[in-house]
Amino acid sequence: MELNANAFGRNARKALLDKTLQEALGRTTGRFQAHRDAAVAALPEFEATRERASRIKGDVLDHLDTYLARFIEEAEKRGTIVHVARDAAQAREIAARIAWEEGITLAVKSKSMASEEVSFNEALQGAGVTVVESDLGEFIIQLAGEAPSHIIAPAVHKTREEISLLFERHLGEPRTDSIPELVGMARKHLRAKFLSAGMGVSGGNFLVADTGSVVLVTNEGNGRMGTVLPRVHLAVVGIEKVIPRMADLPTFLRLLPRSASGQVISSYVSIVTGTRRAGDPEGPERMHLLLLDCGRSAILEGKYREILKCIRCAACLNSCPVYQSVGGHAYGWVYSGPIGAVLTPLLVGLPEAAALPDASTLCGACADVCPVKIPLPDFLLELRSDAREQGLKTPGEIAAMKGYAGVMKRAGLLEAIERIAGVLGQFFTKGKGISGLPYPFSGWTERRDFPAPAAEPFRKQWKIKRGVTR
Amino acid sequence: MPYTTGMDPKGPIPVSLFFTCLADAFSPGVCTATVEVLERFGATVRVPLSQTCCGQPAFNSGNRKEARAMARKFLLSFPDDGFIVTPSGSCAAMVKHGYPVLFRDEPRMLARARAIGERIFELSQFLVDVLGVTDPKSDFSGKVTYHDSCHLRRGLGVIEAPRKLLRAVPGIEFVEMEESDRCCGFGGVFSLKYPQISCKMTERKVERILATGASYVTSGDLGCLLNIGGLISRIGYPVKTIHLAEILAGKTAGKEDAG
Amino acid sequence: MNERESLFRRLSAACGERGAAVEEPLPGGAPTAPEGDRVALFAKTFTAAGGVLLRGPVEKALSDLGEMLRSEGVTALFFPEDDAAAREIAEALVPFGPFNLTTGAEVRGGSAAVTAGFRAAEAAIAETGTIVETSAGGKTLLPGLIADVHVSIVPAASVVARMEEALAAFTEDPPRNISFLSGPSKTADIEQTLTVGAHGPKKAIALMVG
Repeated sequence: MELNANAFGRNARKALLDKTLQEALGRTTGRFQAHRDAAVAALPEFEATRERASRIKGDVLDHLDTYLARFIEEAEKRGTIVHVARDAAQAREIAARIAWEEGITLAVKSKSMASEEVSFNEALQGAGVTVVESDLGEFIIQLAGEAPSHIIAPAVHKTREEISLLFERHLGEPRTDSIPELVGMARKHLRAKFLSAGMGVSGGNFLVADTGSVVLVTNEGNGRMGTVLPRVHLAVVGIEKVIPRMADLPTFLRLLPRSASGQVISSYVSIVTGTRRAGDPEGPERMHLLLLDCGRSAILEGKYREILKCIRCAACLNSCPVYQSVGGHAYGWVYSGPIGAVLTPLLVGLPEAAALPDASTLCGACADVCPVKIPLPDFLLELRSDAREQGLKTPGEIAAMKGYAGVMKRAGLLEAIERIAGVLGQFFTKGKGISGLPYPFSGWTERRDFPAPAAEPFRKQWKIKRGVTR
Repeated sequence: MPYTTGMDPKGPIPVSLFFTCLADAFSPGVCTATVEVLERFGATVRVPLSQTCCGQPAFNSGNRKEARAMARKFLLSFPDDGFIVTPSGSCAAMVKHGYPVLFRDEPRMLARARAIGERIFELSQFLVDVLGVTDPKSDFSGKVTYHDSCHLRRGLGVIEAPRKLLRAVPGIEFVEMEESDRCCGFGGVFSLKYPQISCKMTERKVERILATGASYVTSGDLGCLLNIGGLISRIGYPVKTIHLAEILAGKTAGKEDAG
Repeated sequence: MNERESLFRRLSAACGERGAAVEEPLPGGAPTAPEGDRVALFAKTFTAAGGVLLRGPVEKALSDLGEMLRSEGVTALFFPEDDAAAREIAEALVPFGPFNLTTGAEVRGGSAAVTAGFRAAEAAIAETGTIVETSAGGKTLLPGLIADVHVSIVPAASVVARMEEALAAFTEDPPRNISFLSGPSKTADIEQTLTVGAHGPKKAIALMVG
């Protein structure tokens, strides 16, 4: 996917002015969060489950070499062909080669964020393969030629009117404002694709090390269809998705749907292991697994390791007031919201995405809901510090910070400045708020007043009152 | 849950006031009110005059070198014993959680930061959890709603203390707003870097405040109140921002710098 | 050095010496097995997931089911050739029709008729309201995959308390496909409005037997 993360400010301003987007966000904002809160409250063991999941993931990351090796061994034992891609270019090359060698002309794909990282669809299309997104939301935005704006609800920014227009134009369907009718149109169209596609492409929510299984969680059933009906199954999965054992899966299945959509469980969980067995009436004859590094091993090595615990539930997006204000596209890459603000700079390099860690008020709502307890606000702070150290901050900001620290070094100097500001402030504002300030404060006073400094700061008042002389 | 101090409960309660640079410059009445309330409940308040800023704006914007310089000054400005109380959840959280990050490679400063972090409290937290105050003895009156500052609520875990105090004031009709724990959009440097997003968030907050019909919105952080108040004052909405300390101090407090 | 070796070299360098991996599942976290009647709990959770549970006297359940299928416009009843329980129920429904019976391949090719797929469940999970189906022993998954209505035949004795129990049988050598089916196919991708029948069955019915 094309990277545009450093344009966050511009993207966000555009998003705030986009009436359709704002309406779509308005219709949906908060609903996920409310459902999630209710589902979590209904499971008394939620905190213990969360703690356990976080520890399991921590153990996996501490020994990813061991667990991944075990996973690959078990998967290969059961007929899965495992491929490893170091970066996006390699992933595209491998995917195209698989499609070519398997003789694929049509592939149906279920949702996979990892595949977006490597521009998977473009790679297959370049190899002459038609790729049809089968998740309804992904299908809609594929028709619209857009990128997903939310991890689990990729078309959250589209209204039904826009969707009907797309279905009219691309599928020849009559206009309707009935959502069930729209869903029916997509079902009919995509069913035909499922029945004729040579390859089903999926992501993977979990990789089970002790059995070599790939676990897919969906509500629509597309992940299930794509892994049962076509002759070939290709799963594209990040290396960090390993969990140690089948016995650990319930822990994660309790967290993912609750955190994502407030469901006790998603409609469909498919645990697929290897190819169809002798005597199986259906199931793929060939199973490929494309494991993506794409920056993950580098993250594993550093102080942000825990970000790899992420199970892509999107609870942090749903809880984030910044995300809710501007939607996902503003973040300029695959991942948005708090997870995007941390993960994107780590995967694509901080210089390419230094605007994102600043896109947070550090309110901490994301850390409250993260089902694997990733310290997202701490990581945002850490990345901001890295930006300074890597010379990515503007000279203006650095100068301002140096000046400010210089003043704060001496209480006397601060007091003198406060008194001058107080006199000037009171003179010009007559005690009212300030309605216009120069850059970099001008943004504040565009729609808000700024308080005038007090005529007599507290320190001075205290000295007078308590008779302190120095 | 009472905080175990190891001090004689009947003896004097030594408190150093961490008045915060923001209140010092923009709302000295908040500091005066804090002193008044602390003294009302038996604290002996001293004000270390060499204090300036805890360094949070620099820390939060990733400028750690400058933040560290300010943090160092802060740690040296406060005495080695007694409580440190501040009318700001955000500044207390900075000292408690930010300083250990800043000094993670300096064992001596880290130890000092941790020790001070143990002794620092936000005002409502101190009154309720340490002093066990149930009646703030305030004569304030009016319909009041409360905004949870993010750093007070999530940083320090203080949720109930301010509410308990507000509910205990006889003249106050306390009303919860919806989404009281949702960020007001301030975020320090965020409000300057992304002012439009910040404002969008503030507008939503103000909508929720207005929906309560309260005459006052209060909070444990001046930053939030300056932000919310900035929008209220620009549009001229019929609601006033007032710091929790001023409400607790009562009618007579902080009048001279109201506005 | 191939890509895989190179990946593992990077991983080993990043992981370093961190002691042995935890060999046993970490303790805690799983909810305690629910007290009381598992079937009753399943009835609650399956319904909450959007499913319809039929139980009680067979005659009554069959007539209810027949009526439900007719009201969904079902004309074809599809069951796997080798699934005796599914066949028995489908055949017993014929008098409530008009329904055509089929075990056939035409369903796979995208039948025009509105189809109900019948299949015996391997297990059901009370905790989540889940029907468990697997490909073990060469069983087909098509009835719950491509039919418009899915009818699961669930022996009451097969209801387990939690997911842990349902997966316990598969920790060694799982079949190609283990499916947890919890209610109908759903989507909320358009304006977050919950709509059924995105790809899979629009209706999920569980018929509790035994």
